[in-house]
Amino acid sequence: MEKVITVQNLRKAYKKETAVDNVCFELMPGNIMGLLGTNGAGKTTTLKMITNLCSKDKGKIVIDDISLDTNPGLALKKVGAALDTPGFYQELTARENIECFARLYQNIPKGQVMELLDYVGLGFQTEKKVKKFSLGMKQRLALARAMLGQPKLIILDEPANGLDPQGQIELYRLICDMAKEKKTTFIVSSHQLYDVEKFCTDILILDKGKSILQGKTEEILSETTNIVDCILEETEAFPHVLSHFQGISLTSQKGNQFTVKLESICLDEFIKKLIESNLHIRYLSVRKHSLQDLFLKLTGGAAQCIH
Amino acid sequence: MYPLTKLYAQKMLRQKLIYIFFACFFTASFFYAFLISTPQMEELLNINIGIVGGKNFPEFMMRFYVGTVGILFHVFLLTLFICEEDRGKMLYQPLLHGESRSRLLRSKTCVAVSMSMLFVLVTAVINYTTAFMRWGYKIFETSAVIRTAAKYLLSGIYMSCITLGMIALCICTRNTLKTILFVIVYMLIDSLIYSSHIIFLQKIWIGYYFNLWTFSYEYQKIPLKEMLPGIFVMALYGMLFYQISLCRTKKTDF
Repeated sequence: MEKVITVQNLRKAYKKETAVDNVCFELMPGNIMGLLGTNGAGKTTTLKMITNLCSKDKGKIVIDDISLDTNPGLALKKVGAALDTPGFYQELTARENIECFARLYQNIPKGQVMELLDYVGLGFQTEKKVKKFSLGMKQRLALARAMLGQPKLIILDEPANGLDPQGQIELYRLICDMAKEKKTTFIVSSHQLYDVEKFCTDILILDKGKSILQGKTEEILSETTNIVDCILEETEAFPHVLSHFQGISLTSQKGNQFTVKLESICLDEFIKKLIESNLHIRYLSVRKHSLQDLFLKLTGGAAQCIH
Repeated sequence: MYPLTKLYAQKMLRQKLIYIFFACFFTASFFYAFLISTPQMEELLNINIGIVGGKNFPEFMMRFYVGTVGILFHVFLLTLFICEEDRGKMLYQPLLHGESRSRLLRSKTCVAVSMSMLFVLVTAVINYTTAFMRWGYKIFETSAVIRTAAKYLLSGIYMSCITLGMIALCICTRNTLKTILFVIVYMLIDSLIYSSHIIFLQKIWIGYYFNLWTFSYEYQKIPLKEMLPGIFVMALYGMLFYQISLCRTKKTDF
């Protein structure tokens, strides 16, 4: 399968400050990449370099086999984007706004604008002026505009901003549907880590412009440790027994309540070892490190994270 | 017409400011035409109605438009067209739909320059209409009409060049207030240079020729030898302003 986007060694510096440093990734059709990072981590700069709104100091961006350096016009025809707080012609209606940009494409059928508005849930608001729209509605309209021309890659910069919880769920469902049905690839920057974990196939975490973690969401999360809370009959023997096991560490103890971290041992094995050591389990529950825990740990906020 | 240029032309023509301005200009022209002919106003303004009225009225009002209010009107309009679009995250939108930066600038420039020419034509129509309402057919004296038409044409060229300068300013500053301030400073410097005696500076100053055409040759025919150097200098400035805008547009990080 052909790659939709390849980014190699992307770098951008503003005066003495490096905004993006050596960022690399590639995405296949239907992939949804969550771009994460704290404020000022370089997410928006990265997205703006991909859309050619911002120059890069170094690196290569290839979109659908077309280099952004040699043929930016053609490469960007394959990209739809909604960046920053979405801007519109305030005096125009939602339909007129989308029609304005639809005219820049040669082969957009007349009915497609209404279809797009319908698709993003604005079918009943087409004749309303944009100045009367809420931020959430503007986000939906921005998505409709980004979908013009059926791009292979859609870039969304914090699209859930201003959306109510129901709106967020609908948006993510919409993105997942498009990725599955139309094989559209998405790059979505977001602070909603819980949601990113649920719907993104790939994750890239930036910190101070550098990529600190990237890969498939499933793989990243499966590699993280399990945390086990257990209540045992025997309190004194447990720490002694633990010291003989490798890949398990005791993180807290309160009476007969223990919390342990399973680093290189699976849960079944842990339970088996407890039974073999004649320890009687009264209660046991397992927690998994979430993307949020991982994010905070990697970006230096780990202290507030797990415990 | 290229779709992006058409989009910008429609956007420009939707600006309410244009219609408000020309309604005000028509009102001003109308009242001026009727007021200046009263003996009290002639005395008060120290003017001779025989000179500024009648066939000369369209030229008199043209100077009022191009010399001051028109420039201020243009800078407000262009800051809305460029700086405010930039602030509202709309300026770069066409770039996300496959348009190039140079095409974006070309479309903006094309619309802005065409509008500046069109607005000079609109003022001509307004001024001739009010003059006709006040003085009747007397205003259509052939030699005066030809002379005034030439001056309107030259004013159109001057306004186009000033528009290109304003576009360059908008793109370089990306700030409405700064752009307006720069234009006000330009207007002050312009009158200073015209009234100074630094001939070399005058010859290369963009606004000098407009002042020469309208003040030194007030209600007179402009000789060709005074027109051509002015047109040449304005064309050079126009090209320079466009090149500055183009370089800046290509380097801008949105």
